[in-house]
Amino acid sequence: MMEEWSASLGMLQSSAILLYILKGTLFTVIISAIAVILGVILGSVLALVRNYCHSPRYRIFRYAAVAYIEIFRNTPLLLWIFICVVFCPVPDIFAHRMFGLTTVETTLLFKASIALILFTSSVIAEIVRGGLNSVAAGQFEAAASQGFNTVQTMVYIILPQAFRNVVPTLLSQIITTIKDSSYLANVATIELMSRVRQILSTANIYNGTGNINVSDVFVLYGCAAAIYFIINFALSLVVRHINARRKAAASAYRTAKA
Amino acid sequence: MIKLEHINKFFGDLHVLKDVNLHVKEGEKMVIVGPSGSGKSTTVRCMNYLEVPTSGKVIIDGEEMNARNHIKLVRRTTSMVFQQFNLYPHLDVMRNLTLAPIKLHGVSPKEAEETARHYLNVVGLADKAHVYPTTLSGGQQQRIAIARALCAKTKIILFDEPTSALDPETIQEVLDVMVKLAEESNITMVIVTHEMGFARQVADRIVFMEDGMIIEEGTPDHFFNNPSNERVQQFLGKILRH
Repeated sequence: MMEEWSASLGMLQSSAILLYILKGTLFTVIISAIAVILGVILGSVLALVRNYCHSPRYRIFRYAAVAYIEIFRNTPLLLWIFICVVFCPVPDIFAHRMFGLTTVETTLLFKASIALILFTSSVIAEIVRGGLNSVAAGQFEAAASQGFNTVQTMVYIILPQAFRNVVPTLLSQIITTIKDSSYLANVATIELMSRVRQILSTANIYNGTGNINVSDVFVLYGCAAAIYFIINFALSLVVRHINARRKAAASAYRTAKA
Repeated sequence: MIKLEHINKFFGDLHVLKDVNLHVKEGEKMVIVGPSGSGKSTTVRCMNYLEVPTSGKVIIDGEEMNARNHIKLVRRTTSMVFQQFNLYPHLDVMRNLTLAPIKLHGVSPKEAEETARHYLNVVGLADKAHVYPTTLSGGQQQRIAIARALCAKTKIILFDEPTSALDPETIQEVLDVMVKLAEESNITMVIVTHEMGFARQVADRIVFMEDGMIIEEGTPDHFFNNPSNERVQQFLGKILRH
């Protein structure tokens, strides 16, 4: 019994295995970061279109944005990963060996990332829309009374306030997206979750006992859990810190006013 | 300077402005008074296209305002001070004052800041250049809003009930700034207000509106001392009694 545990833990002393897991962690972070960054850009456009394209000429864009947001937000991510793996075209530039991945892997990485971006952007669109709706109507009037056109009003006045209002929610969404990226383990061996699973499936070779033991499951998945936890808990501490600072600022304002 | 010709405005079925005709001359200080819901604010908001008239013409500085030219025309000719101040909460006072001059009027940041400091002095808040608007009292915010309007250096400033959202003790500081402006500048001012003492002090002409129509207009003297219209007499009787 004890030998099995020490054999399992011994796997984590192999630099090859550690490096493999570490690279997986790096992919997890990069994929999530790309999904969130593109999600914010795409989501902002969707939110703006959904909120403000009311004129009859552009109403079609609004309907498209509503359809996009509602479809992706109300269906599971895994579904879209499977769909994208089958149907999503891959530009040649991604169908090459790179980052130590095979061509098959980069292709799958691209497809699955697209699914993650589609899904994340629909969620972020609703977050940004919440931020836009929290901006007082008087801000639009003030901007119009100074002669700002629609684009200038959005860029200089509305969007900065909207984003400021949703920073904590967006950071929480990053945490969710990092966890969501583990779904990619279903189609490719690239990010953290899939790599840990991959090691587990061949643990009988690495742990030296010739068998895959229950202790291997605990150690490897425990390792994955610990890595996810460290990243996400650090992020949630940041969120908490920002929220606390805002609350303090708001109450300082209230006392100053009273 | 501002001409409203046969303005009608509907909100749905509600007929809020009924054939309003008004001519504000250059440099004139016009005060619009009347009971709530009489269309005073809507009239002023038609002057900078915040409300689009259902029919009729708005002519500013000789140019008829329409859907194509309103942004540039408003930018060039009018500023507005709102009941709720509507300062930009994400920008400090200085950037509230310099945003439009820099981004819209092509003024250099240095020059815009000099102008802003000048007008902060005018409204007596030179020490507040680098605080955020939400840390200021209502009266201070409204004085900043007036400074912001001045920084655009437009010939016209529209005031839409600038003291209605203020605590009683801060109303006077805002009125004092407006009196100073009215007496010392050549800016065309159109002011919607309930402050009758102030109206009497600054107005060249007082316009009384009720039920979407202008039913009396004249000098403060005429308006307060011998209004010909019975409704105006009633209105004045009600508010001057307290």
